[in-house]
Amino acid sequence: MQLTLLCALVPLFPFIGFLVNGLGFRNIPNSAAGVISTASAVASFVVSVLLFSNFLSGGSQPFTAVLFDWVSVGGLKIQFSYLIDQLSLLMLMVVTGVGSLIHLYSMGYMHHDEGFGKFMAFLNLFMFSMLLLVMGSNYLIMFFGWEGVGLCSYLLIGFWNKNVSYGDAARKAFVMNRIGDLGFLIGIFLIINTFGSVEYQQVFPKAVELFKAGDSTVFWITFCLFIGAMGKSAQIPLYTWLPDAMAGPTPVSALIHAATMVTAGIYMVIRSNVLYTLAPDTLEIIAIVGLATALFAASIGLFQNDIKKVLAYSTVSQLGYMFLALGVMAYSSAMFHVMTHAFFKALLFLGAGSVIHAMGGEQDIRKMGGLQGHIKITFLTFLIGTIAISGIPPFAGFFSKDEILMHVYEHNKLLWALGVVGSMMTSFYMFRLLFLTFFGTFRGTKHQHEHLHESPLSMTVPLMVLAVLSVFGGALGLPEVFGFNHQLANFMSPLFEHSKTVNALVGAKSALPHSTEYALMFVSVMAVALSMTAAWVLFVKKANVPASDETLDGMTKVIYNKYYVDEIYQAAIVKPLYSLSEFCHSVAETAMDMLVESTGKLVNVAGNGFRQLQTGIVGYYVLAMVAGILLFAVFTLRSVLF
Amino acid sequence: MIPEIIKTIPLNYYLFLSSTLFVIGVIGVLTRRNALIIFMSVELMLNAVNLLLTAFSAYRSDPAGQIFVFFIMAVAAAEVAVGLAIIVMMYRYMRTIDVGLMNKLKW
Amino acid sequence: MLSIILLSVSGIASLFLGFNKSRSLLMPATLLFLLVALAVNLWDWNVPFTLSSAYNNGMMTVDKTTIVFSAILLVSALLVIPFSQNYIDRPQAQPAEYYAILLFALVGGIMMTAYDNLIMLFVGVEILSISMYVLAGSDKRNLRSTEAALKYFLMGAFATGFLLFGVALLYGATMSFSIKGIADYTNANVGNLSPLLYVGIVMVLIGVLFKVSAAPFHFWTPDVYEGSPSLFTAFMSTVVKTAGFAALYRLLAVSFTGLYDYWAMSIAVVALLTLVVGNITASHQHSFKRMMAYSGISHAGYLLIAVTAFQNTSQDAILFYSLAYSVATIAAFGVLILVADKQQGSEDFSAFNGLAKNNPFLAFVMTLAMCSLAGIPLTGGFFGKFLIFSSAFAKGGLNWLLIGAILMSAVGIYYYFKVVIAMYIREGKTEKIALTGLQQAAFVLSILLTLLLGVVPNLFADLV
Repeated sequence: MQLTLLCALVPLFPFIGFLVNGLGFRNIPNSAAGVISTASAVASFVVSVLLFSNFLSGGSQPFTAVLFDWVSVGGLKIQFSYLIDQLSLLMLMVVTGVGSLIHLYSMGYMHHDEGFGKFMAFLNLFMFSMLLLVMGSNYLIMFFGWEGVGLCSYLLIGFWNKNVSYGDAARKAFVMNRIGDLGFLIGIFLIINTFGSVEYQQVFPKAVELFKAGDSTVFWITFCLFIGAMGKSAQIPLYTWLPDAMAGPTPVSALIHAATMVTAGIYMVIRSNVLYTLAPDTLEIIAIVGLATALFAASIGLFQNDIKKVLAYSTVSQLGYMFLALGVMAYSSAMFHVMTHAFFKALLFLGAGSVIHAMGGEQDIRKMGGLQGHIKITFLTFLIGTIAISGIPPFAGFFSKDEILMHVYEHNKLLWALGVVGSMMTSFYMFRLLFLTFFGTFRGTKHQHEHLHESPLSMTVPLMVLAVLSVFGGALGLPEVFGFNHQLANFMSPLFEHSKTVNALVGAKSALPHSTEYALMFVSVMAVALSMTAAWVLFVKKANVPASDETLDGMTKVIYNKYYVDEIYQAAIVKPLYSLSEFCHSVAETAMDMLVESTGKLVNVAGNGFRQLQTGIVGYYVLAMVAGILLFAVFTLRSVLF
Repeated sequence: MIPEIIKTIPLNYYLFLSSTLFVIGVIGVLTRRNALIIFMSVELMLNAVNLLLTAFSAYRSDPAGQIFVFFIMAVAAAEVAVGLAIIVMMYRYMRTIDVGLMNKLKW
Repeated sequence: MLSIILLSVSGIASLFLGFNKSRSLLMPATLLFLLVALAVNLWDWNVPFTLSSAYNNGMMTVDKTTIVFSAILLVSALLVIPFSQNYIDRPQAQPAEYYAILLFALVGGIMMTAYDNLIMLFVGVEILSISMYVLAGSDKRNLRSTEAALKYFLMGAFATGFLLFGVALLYGATMSFSIKGIADYTNANVGNLSPLLYVGIVMVLIGVLFKVSAAPFHFWTPDVYEGSPSLFTAFMSTVVKTAGFAALYRLLAVSFTGLYDYWAMSIAVVALLTLVVGNITASHQHSFKRMMAYSGISHAGYLLIAVTAFQNTSQDAILFYSLAYSVATIAAFGVLILVADKQQGSEDFSAFNGLAKNNPFLAFVMTLAMCSLAGIPLTGGFFGKFLIFSSAFAKGGLNWLLIGAILMSAVGIYYYFKVVIAMYIREGKTEKIALTGLQQAAFVLSILLTLLLGVVPNLFADLV
């Protein structure tokens, strides 16, 4: 009973915060609004920790907290209940922990904003929806959270900006998410139809009983659910909303578009791992989509000049890695990467926010440079984040990414090679970002230079905490090859009981000899180091700065040098890379956008056509009606007539 | 029960007659633009129904059909009242009752 | 069936109240009449239903379904009435007549939900329709209102002809006007049914489908909805539609269950066509009101899916959806009435520009209504769609229809959010709009109902 109460409290706190701030945002002073919403986030973090310790001391038994009967249609009874198990607890820790830090950070970052109270209210609402998503014990509650986070993302991008183009970005985010959501909804209906229930704990055992691997019903269920995941977790072709969503305030980008919401798709696949294990075809699709997204987004990120856009593409790319891991059934590795990614990507976004704050709103890295002396804490934490995401040992990103690559290697060596290429690109663009922002000389205006200042404590404390997590977060899953016990994998293994009965490979220990594992690590670390050095040579030693958009013949100035060797280097490596990046960014992305938007256009054109049918003349209406009557009559009477 | 005289005309004939009347009404509504004539055509459709109901009722000695006819006549009278009022209202504005000219509302 | 008598009497009473010079009494009196009718209607909940049919000479039945349907009609009317303030404040208005006719229209609506005999169906349909012809044309100085009334009247009378011809054929085939009698005939003569019956079913279906504005019999809807005064458009798009679906489902469920294979496919095709026409045309409108008309058509399509599914759960789904749809639609029209009044009568999307700045409450009500109509979770509209889709999934074999419906509901998001964007993002100036207490109450009630339906649907799903 008490446990039920605790479970109920976790989402309730942010909801109360939302109600208080949302209803009274005109009357509550900004300082109080910030404290209320941050306190509510922290409170739900504390309760989550309590739940976690309770769970561990109680022998790690999953627990369902039933709050009330929710829907009953015919034989289908759906309860409003929360499920507390390994997966939801891990997600809870990430959501409430990182979420609290971001709330704290927002207090500093946003407090000048006129809509501060409203903003904090929406952040709380987002937390609430996200908690529903991860805690719900059935697909319907997950869907509610799923829609809720999409709505909040829409509110936070769009309502903060009074600019119409931002509004369009928000609407794009919403519509793309909705396309995915419809897939998800169809998936849920298929589940209801197949299993007669949406409760995880009834569906999964039944799935194992009823179906063999490769069954087409399960394929359609998992495929529809995956369409939902593509929208929410920004995979090809439904990813373009995420870079556009960077129009929102930076803490939102950190919370929604990096650390939590976009991982909902990963969470959903891990939650439904039984179904996915039963559908190897879907897994294959997931792996390919994931890898394609990872490479594609990384190559676009290579030469972006907006600090937040780089991070946005990097997020898309990292999500691709997570899906790649899911595709090879390395579910716990994907979860591991979700967690470490939450740490370092939130850190990077918040650090970027701090940079933007110091620069007075400037986001173009070509106008930055040499900031390391001015904003030391931001620089150091950003450095840590960069190292972590690049996968340099012993920081957190190394362990999680390496684990994914190892599993991919076992599955398919070509995918592995491509994955390594992707991680090279990752470290290149991340270090490029770091070098251009913090190294070299300052390239902004004089006014900005005088204005440079470190952010207030409420912003730097979250940075420091996240930096510590990014350094040591890898400790959760130290690999066995180093003689450790992979704690995270062990902790999560009960989640995959049913999957294991279907496919013994799930959660199995790696069959690779240790020497191969070491070799893989070595290769990926060397690859990363290589591209890091390349970035260093280009942007620190030679101090290149990308040409501004106004320069027509940009390429000639991209790399400014007189040496023959450099020109070869430029012609052979940089230029093709640049072209590739440009191609992906401008051509392919536009094409994908067009693909999605042309459906919208089609509807619009059809709408105009249909509109013309309505001529306004009664005689014509009667004629149309009589024609309709005849058709209806003939169609209905066909069985009697013919 | 049924008077012999009625049976001299088979029921089918009534069915055909009223169907024809009904279709004439429909065609009238389709082809005419004068609101009053359209209205009269609608009345023709209703009277076709009345004839049919009476015929069924008389052939089967079941009074329910004829009662329904009274309902239809009463309701049609109410409809006439409202319909004529609307047509008069239209005439006041347009000085015509050509329904083809009523096309401000479209698309 | 006391509520029918009460409503008729109170309609006459409000006509007499019209003799009084003061107009201020009329609206409270009407609301009171409606509340009494609602209470009386719900009072029947515990009556032993087997008796009621005999009591009404086999003309009407009172059971839980009809009580809930009637309650939805009455609640819709209760929510609509407060927004009549602006309309009756005009010097040329004749409020006593408006209220009386609204009450009479409700009588017709309730008859359509409870009929046991096709005579009652016909009389109910006609009472409701003739009332609506008058109300559609009630803005006598406005040519658009006249045009709406004329179109509605001509098309409606034409469709009535088909309904009646169908009834006559059914009578010819079965010798009965009672819907149970027709069912007895079809059950007794399986395999040997009169051809008149088949044609009759088609004609009756056409008559009723016209009333609920299903494609291809929907052509009157956009013009009539746009031209009528918004107040009565709100009434039309909720009460008429709900009553129409109650009548349709009752007819099919009682009389023609055995002939499911005969009519189901046609209704399914009509449903898909209605969805496509409604949603796609709605996406290309400049006028909010006309958009709502097309959206009304599309909602008829969703409801027709439930009719096609014809499961045990379908009727609950129709009830739930009708309630959620009616509440949201009335809230949206309420905001429209208030806004258009301040914007020189403009009912375009642009009239809503920047509404949120000075009228956050109205903007919120509208947003919630749009979310509910679009079927976003946490609002009643989501569970309405959920129940309908799950009953259709349970039926099986309708996947093509469902996929179409789900895709079309994505189109819905697009046009419903146009107004939300206009209110919150576009620049524009609307001064603060003053609400009367009753209007506030109606908005708060509609918010509460929408959220309750969306969060704890079981409260309502257990009713029937």
